[in-house]
Amino acid sequence: MNGEAMKYEDAHLSDEEMLMAADGELPLGRAKRIDAHLAHCWACRARMAGMEANIADLVHLHRRNFDRPVPPAAPSRALLKARLAAAPRSSWQGWFGDVGHVLRIAGIALAVGALVLLVSYPRVFRDTRAVPAIHLTPGATRPVALKDLCSGQYSKNAQVMPVVQRQVFARYGLKNVEPGAYEVDYLITPALGGADDIRNLWPQPYSSTVWNAAVKDELEDRLHAMVCSGELDLVSAQQDIAKDWIEAYKKYFHTDTPAPGYVAKP
Amino acid sequence: MDSTLSALLRAAPRADRLSKPSPLEEEVVCLFDQFRDRLLRYALSFGLPIQDAEEIVQEVFLALFQHLQRGKSRENLRGWVFRVTHNLALKQREQSRRSQQVALGPYGGALPADPAPNPEDQLASRQREERLQAVLRALPEQHQRCLYLRAEGLRYREIAAALGMSLGSVSMSLAKSMARLGRADER
Repeated sequence: MNGEAMKYEDAHLSDEEMLMAADGELPLGRAKRIDAHLAHCWACRARMAGMEANIADLVHLHRRNFDRPVPPAAPSRALLKARLAAAPRSSWQGWFGDVGHVLRIAGIALAVGALVLLVSYPRVFRDTRAVPAIHLTPGATRPVALKDLCSGQYSKNAQVMPVVQRQVFARYGLKNVEPGAYEVDYLITPALGGADDIRNLWPQPYSSTVWNAAVKDELEDRLHAMVCSGELDLVSAQQDIAKDWIEAYKKYFHTDTPAPGYVAKP
Repeated sequence: MDSTLSALLRAAPRADRLSKPSPLEEEVVCLFDQFRDRLLRYALSFGLPIQDAEEIVQEVFLALFQHLQRGKSRENLRGWVFRVTHNLALKQREQSRRSQQVALGPYGGALPADPAPNPEDQLASRQREERLQAVLRALPEQHQRCLYLRAEGLRYREIAAALGMSLGSVSMSLAKSMARLGRADER
């Protein structure tokens, strides 16, 4: 046992680090040391259990206080849409007059700019995308029988080991990753035959509030159901989700925007 | 609200001219669908009437549209929308205070009536809830708001952005509040 481990086993945890550990707010190394301490220290585990019980009571109370019915969203949604349509545009749009034309030009400019960024500054580009860099994460599959995938016991996305997560961050050039900033996710979910392979893993930013992990989970469930019902073959499902999962969502849900209610994960 | 909408639609020639909303408008409406109820409840937690809270949420998403249109950061948008809601609600509350008293913090009001019957076996939990509520009410408002936003599922960095605090202050605030809640039964 080294000196550091001894220190963590001997010193009881503070309230703050215990709460941060419970909330997943600690860097991986520190979280592991705290887990090790809790494994040895009954006193701290009892305090942790008490704190979790208080959190449960607080959440219940919070719901009692604030889960009040609110008016339907439709009228205020319509009002917002009308206000957005009437909202002033950036001044440069006035030079062109027609907003639709400007948007088309902006779209082309954005596409060209994105291409330049992809070639010249891949790190910057990848950091903010809701889809992976295809040359780093092309997707990888494992040989699997359809009946196994559809047996009702298909595997949900397993937690990726911290050491593998670090490798993924390194491949994407991400240093000093803040806890909770990214989820290392499977591009092709194991439920569709995706492999536990670094070419099938990518850092999905939690800052993607629209095309987020919850929306991708919804797509995975839809594709799994379609494959198992025979509506779609497995290889097509794998190829579509690997090529561009957002486009696949639009294709299989027949919509340009994700369904309401899928918020960014906390 | 309906008359406001009608008037706005009549007075918005650009809205008539455009056959399709821009991608940015669609994105903002999509975010509105995701966050509206939670932001509305957060604005209501300042003791504001529903009409004021609804208007604040409208302003938040108009501000978000301007923010994104100017190409500003998309990092931590969840923290951003809560922060703008917080600031607007604070401002509105200050204006309301000039004419009437409003609740001080999110947990400042009386505990709502339990919708379930109140048999004897619920008495103990009811009493504990009241003790917790008393502890919550006694916390500084900043601590109450940290707890509120954490209970709403925000990460520490999002809470920090929403309340304009440092990350360390958020964790310290939450830990202190939890410690006080832990001592609620000793009172």
